[in-house]
Amino acid sequence: MDVGYRQDPDQRRAREHVQSRWMEVYDPVRHLDPVLVLTALALTVIGLVAIYSAKLVALTSQGLPTSLYVSRQLLALAIGVVVMVVVAVIDYRYARIYAPAVYLLSVLLLGVVLSPVGTAFGGAQRWIVVGGFQLQPSELAKLAVLITVAAILHEAKGQPGLGVVVGALVLTLIPTALVFLQPDFGTSIVFVWTTAVLFLLGGVQARYLVGLAIAGVVAVIVALQTEVIQAYQVSRLTAFLNAGDASAAQTAAFQTRQSLIAVGSGQFAGKGLFEGTQTSLSYVPENHTDFIFTVIAEEFGFLGSSVVLGLLLVLVWRGLRIAILAKDTFGMLVAGGIVAILTLQVFVNVGMTIGIMPVTGLPLPFISYGGTSLIVWFAMIGLLLNIHMRRF
Amino acid sequence: MAIPSAESSSVLRLTFLAVMVITLFVALFARLWFLQVMAGDRYVELADSNRLRTVITEAPRGEILTADGHALVRNRPALTISADRQVLLDAAGDPVDEEAERVIDRLALLLELEVDEVLERLASQRRSPFRPVPIAIDVTPEIVFAVQERRELFPGVVPETLPVREYPHGTLAAHLLGYIGEISQQELLRPEFADYRAGDLVGRSGLEQSYEADLRGVPGQRRLVVNARGDVLDVQSDREPVQGADLVTSLDLDLQLATEQLLEDGILASREIRRDDGQLLPSTAGSAIVLDARTGAVLAMASYPTYDPREFVGGVSQEYFELLADPENERPLVNRAISGLYPPGSVFKTASGAAFVEAGLVTPRSTVECAPAFELGGNTFRNWNRGVNEGMMDLSDALTRSCDTYFYELAFNQWLREENADEPDEVLIRVAEQFGFGVATGIDLPGEASGRVPGRQWRFDYWVANRDNYCRQADLASPGSYARELYSDLCQFGAAWRGGDAVNSSIGQGDVLSTPLQVAASYQAIANDGVLLRPHLGARVVAPDGTVLREIEPEVNGELGVSDQTLRVMQEGLERVVMTDRGTGSSAFRGFPLDEIPVAGKTGTAELRPKVPYAWFAGYAPIDDPEIVVVVNVEQGGGGSQTAAPIVRNIMAHYFGIVLADDAEFEAGEEILD
Repeated sequence: MDVGYRQDPDQRRAREHVQSRWMEVYDPVRHLDPVLVLTALALTVIGLVAIYSAKLVALTSQGLPTSLYVSRQLLALAIGVVVMVVVAVIDYRYARIYAPAVYLLSVLLLGVVLSPVGTAFGGAQRWIVVGGFQLQPSELAKLAVLITVAAILHEAKGQPGLGVVVGALVLTLIPTALVFLQPDFGTSIVFVWTTAVLFLLGGVQARYLVGLAIAGVVAVIVALQTEVIQAYQVSRLTAFLNAGDASAAQTAAFQTRQSLIAVGSGQFAGKGLFEGTQTSLSYVPENHTDFIFTVIAEEFGFLGSSVVLGLLLVLVWRGLRIAILAKDTFGMLVAGGIVAILTLQVFVNVGMTIGIMPVTGLPLPFISYGGTSLIVWFAMIGLLLNIHMRRF
Repeated sequence: MAIPSAESSSVLRLTFLAVMVITLFVALFARLWFLQVMAGDRYVELADSNRLRTVITEAPRGEILTADGHALVRNRPALTISADRQVLLDAAGDPVDEEAERVIDRLALLLELEVDEVLERLASQRRSPFRPVPIAIDVTPEIVFAVQERRELFPGVVPETLPVREYPHGTLAAHLLGYIGEISQQELLRPEFADYRAGDLVGRSGLEQSYEADLRGVPGQRRLVVNARGDVLDVQSDREPVQGADLVTSLDLDLQLATEQLLEDGILASREIRRDDGQLLPSTAGSAIVLDARTGAVLAMASYPTYDPREFVGGVSQEYFELLADPENERPLVNRAISGLYPPGSVFKTASGAAFVEAGLVTPRSTVECAPAFELGGNTFRNWNRGVNEGMMDLSDALTRSCDTYFYELAFNQWLREENADEPDEVLIRVAEQFGFGVATGIDLPGEASGRVPGRQWRFDYWVANRDNYCRQADLASPGSYARELYSDLCQFGAAWRGGDAVNSSIGQGDVLSTPLQVAASYQAIANDGVLLRPHLGARVVAPDGTVLREIEPEVNGELGVSDQTLRVMQEGLERVVMTDRGTGSSAFRGFPLDEIPVAGKTGTAELRPKVPYAWFAGYAPIDDPEIVVVVNVEQGGGGSQTAAPIVRNIMAHYFGIVLADDAEFEAGEEILD
């Protein structure tokens, strides 16, 4: 008795083949990290609220639409999500292949920024204007340095020799120098830091690390002594040391002082959304970009600050977890490197607003206004997802 | 395939990274906890002081008016260029940046000032940080337009109008009105200036000072919410300025104008007079007072030379102030009527005469010989009318003829009596004080002097204070000289109140000192049946809307304490000074219709060697129902009848509307040096 439809073995094989092929592609998607994505999105939304609040009074008084900055940031978020998906889908191991291209593009763009094509603002030349949007190539360069150095260390198979170290160092210092000339002291520090952490994670021998540390200290001293760093940068770097001293009315200390007042006056629970006087009356300069944290701290207090720092810690936790679970050195290095960049930027940025770090122009990841930064950070989330999905 | 050792090694390295990350985050949390929870209160205060800016708006100062409602001082809006210190200067008082430096340079150029001067005014700590600092007051409209049209060139520079004092009658009553100036740092510390701020204006002299509390008003205050650029976004609380109250004085505009003019004319004219010794009278300065005989209200008061209060508007120049302070210019800022201290001379004889009656040495009608001279311990005290024995005199005659020896004799007798008493009752001091000498009258003007009626205690204190000097002078003088003798006597016996001192005091000489106002007040009491009133200029304080806030009523300072008979005899003597040919003042009143307006008065010629004597005249009119008391003093003006009495005559003529034959001219009286 015919028990039913008898499958043609060929047909069945073909179907199973299709199924397995499909599953193969689909499989990594089942290993998405929703916590990571949701946390990044939550931080971005908090950022949007803070940007809106920071600019509300200023835009109103100028007669401009109050959503001016928020809508631009939303567009960047949309692009960022697309970029995240694209980066997540393409197996990250291909990144080792396209790393040189990304690196060369970044260096090229950094060169363009310094050329007359670049746009200057506030004494620094950091942007290229394309189709009404300002691109900040130094953000992209972070990614480039990260995957390039990670790729080199991966190739060294856990035994990086002196040649590898020197090579990675040279590749780091080229964009570092270009960014430094903008001048963007903060981002050049990020490059050096990224490479340093990657050296640590990639198994570079301790003696090289110590040697590099000493060289770094000497370089900073030489830079300060020979005025390679422009005077305004030095004063900005040292201003935080005497903030709170009423006589220090210099512009640099003013920023730090006003920032401290904003943060401190938020107290435990904050003044409430749109109620921050330091924020709305523009006492804190650049409070939608570098000093965005003051808006959160003033209007939502210690509680709000803790939520933001807590969410950033969640990202760190997921990132470290992904690094540990990564199936190859490259994945581990990229994930660890992202955690390192995130931590450095958070510490330098928030530390600057609360007077424990010098004033440098580093944005707060996901929160600060700035399209390029946001897109690049979603690209990094994409990378983390990618590494996570393909961990088996 | 990862080698297991490499695997565990990378986990170790990641753990190291994790520890580092956690450490950094903990640092952030700790710092945030400190800033927001532990030190949050302080930062809340700082945030509030950031966004709230207090702005003071000046209250227009009250006006000072004559009794008939003419403004003597009022306010006028003055175009002013001010600058915001907080915008242009840093905490150290230097320009905040190059832009501010350029703004200050431009401002100096525009105002034709030195850059340093602009900086100095801007940085002046005497200015409140809560309002723009006036850099130039009373500028031309062109300058204001220049700033307004090019605002971008002058950030932080504010054109504004400030109320400044205006004097419709120029220098009129300058000494009485006084002037205003910025409050000093020392004054700000005093409790009565608790609600003043740096840069506030405060009455510096005259009525501006004594009625400061009424005239000042209440400055307005606004709390502005400002952003970092200083743009005003909201006004949080608002207190409108309350205009100061007006002061209506008892001054009569017409009489004040006339008194000042007649005093000056008289002084200048008297400088043409040649004395018996052939020298011209110096008549360096003088004062005149017209009191309402019934109330003690000041109808007019003049002091010569005077000054221009308009020079004090917006701050007096150093140059003008030095001019005023120079002794060569006879110190025009001094109101001689209340601050000038002179020996009263013969105008004091009313008080000393009353004292000897009070002492019981004489009755008002008992007579004493008016000898040509009085001998005392080898010294001769002559009557002014040298060489003539005028016969027996009662108090009335003694005043009419201003007989010195009448007073010498009684003074010496009284001195003897006091010397023999265990506890001497110094009658002259007591009675003179009842007449208002030696005590400030309490007029509502600052700077009144108290004068002095000396006696034993004063002499002793004075000697104690000066003994060392006397003894040193005695040692320095050549042996056998007069100076040596004098100083060694003073050194040893200077503490003694001697008969000569008592004799001198009795005719208002020696160490007696008095202000013209004290003389006026005592004669006002004689004219007013013995009641001594407190002279005053303020009549009432009126709110800007016209409601009377305060009436200033006449106040009684005391009674002369003499019997009716004594008072009548004194009045009779004073009447005859002017009304009879024997009287020392009669020559000055020739041509004055005394039958219509009978006048009483007393001449005085105060010696202050080696200077030319100081001329006095104190009078009141009409005799039956006195309306006014007039006192004039001319420094180094010679005899009272010669220079002072004619000025009094002219003032009285003006008051009573009498046109004198010699109206335009000053006619001096006889040179009687009583």
